[in-house]
Amino acid sequence: MCSVHDTIEFEKRGVPATVIITQAFRNACVFQFKGKGMEGHPYIELPHPISNLKPAEMRELTLQYVDQIARQLTA
Amino acid sequence: MNDLPWIDPTAGSGKAKIALAPRPMDLAGKVVGLLDNTKEQADIILQTVGDALRERHGVARVVIRRKEHYSKPATNALIDDFVNEVQLAIAAVGG
Amino acid sequence: MPVDEFEFFLEKHWSDGFPVVTPTEARVQRMLEATRRDPDELIGHVPPAMEPATVRTVAIHALMAGCKPEYLPVVLGALELMLRDEFNMNGVQGTMHGVAPLMIVNGPYARKIGIHGGNGCFGPSFRANATIGRAIRLMMLNLGGGIAGIGSATIFATPLRYTACIAENIERSPWETLAVSMGYRADENVITCAMVESPRLSFDDVSQEPRRLLNGIADSMVAMGSWNMHARSDMVVAMGPQHAAICAEAGMSRAEVHRTLCELAGRKVRDLKNGGNWRRERALQFPIDVDPDDEDCFIPAIKDPADLHLIVAGGWGPCTAVCHGWSGGSRAVHGAYRID
Repeated sequence: MCSVHDTIEFEKRGVPATVIITQAFRNACVFQFKGKGMEGHPYIELPHPISNLKPAEMRELTLQYVDQIARQLTA
Repeated sequence: MNDLPWIDPTAGSGKAKIALAPRPMDLAGKVVGLLDNTKEQADIILQTVGDALRERHGVARVVIRRKEHYSKPATNALIDDFVNEVQLAIAAVGG
Repeated sequence: MPVDEFEFFLEKHWSDGFPVVTPTEARVQRMLEATRRDPDELIGHVPPAMEPATVRTVAIHALMAGCKPEYLPVVLGALELMLRDEFNMNGVQGTMHGVAPLMIVNGPYARKIGIHGGNGCFGPSFRANATIGRAIRLMMLNLGGGIAGIGSATIFATPLRYTACIAENIERSPWETLAVSMGYRADENVITCAMVESPRLSFDDVSQEPRRLLNGIADSMVAMGSWNMHARSDMVVAMGPQHAAICAEAGMSRAEVHRTLCELAGRKVRDLKNGGNWRRERALQFPIDVDPDDEDCFIPAIKDPADLHLIVAGGWGPCTAVCHGWSGGSRAVHGAYRID
């Protein structure tokens, strides 16, 4: 999907990047990274679905992944 | 290669590998770009991530940009513009 | 143990589940005789895997699909159109939705090679329909990687993802073709592609006059669960010739039928809130002014008249086929294609 494409474009320009996806798109995400020459690129996978979470729930869930995001963007 | 008496048009071999951009040791003082693809919850997710990266990891500033539509890649112009301003990037939400 | 040619291709991750015609060099050369284009000419890259499709690559996939050589120009023309940015092949390949690029082929060449637009045009039995559409799908699978569960998150797909290519029923249509309605000449060979679901069939053997008939057809355009109600989206309405005749005999032109369907097809906010994909945030993104907080506000299925692709197709009988569209920013494409 396009967020993967965007992530790769950042990497190509020297900007470390990651992408946040939901579980239903894991296979597509892995496939796209592989297909575009970045096999194994890290990503953040949230459980699916998220569309009906209330804002407070969405924030609370997201906070659980912030440290993982930081690890993916640093050495 | 292929000893078979027919053509095998299976695609996808020999894709050139792209290297990961070098990562900094930490996020302190960095400017982080957050790319919102307009899908539901992307705005809340990125706002939350941005705030938490500043509070917990010392990120100096976050810059948020919204794409035209979730199913289209960001334009080169948007990405080029973005990389002039940020040192790290997070895209959300694929799904 | 010799490799079985059918098993070899059936086991490919990009197989559509049916056997292919084994692509030998001799068969490919024969297929390429149907075009004067250079076999190395690049048509484009098929997203999301972005593998290249040259004229030769297209010929190989057309051959595997079972195309006759004379079908190749249509496959080439269609792929060129489908790779246009506004069609958004990239988005459709990955989406949870199940839409497929339906080709509506107008003009004399379609007739010459037997693309069928009469009885059973959406189903099996017509080689040109079956194999031209299949050639496109094989490329989307192999070159694009839009494989369910791998590159594609499609929930159900739809049967239109096996093949999606029809013509209009010119013999029994009272009106000009879709291509002519868009400004092409009748002798031009034109393909229109729209990302749509498999058709749902709207039966009406009661209406004798257009208003009631079109009201019933409009009802098939406005399901709560259809993305047409919740985004700007293409829709194909294939009026059966019997239904078209009712309108034409009442003095309605194609344009008038088109306009009437656009006016009738919609639901009020009050109804839409009760199920399906309604979110007020989605309504606020429409390219038309609606007030999602006004329960009496009428939300049309067709946000821009250019998004409704009205054709006459199918056999004689009291039925019209309605194909719903996608949510994700694909705009239908059309263009003349070369036949040499």
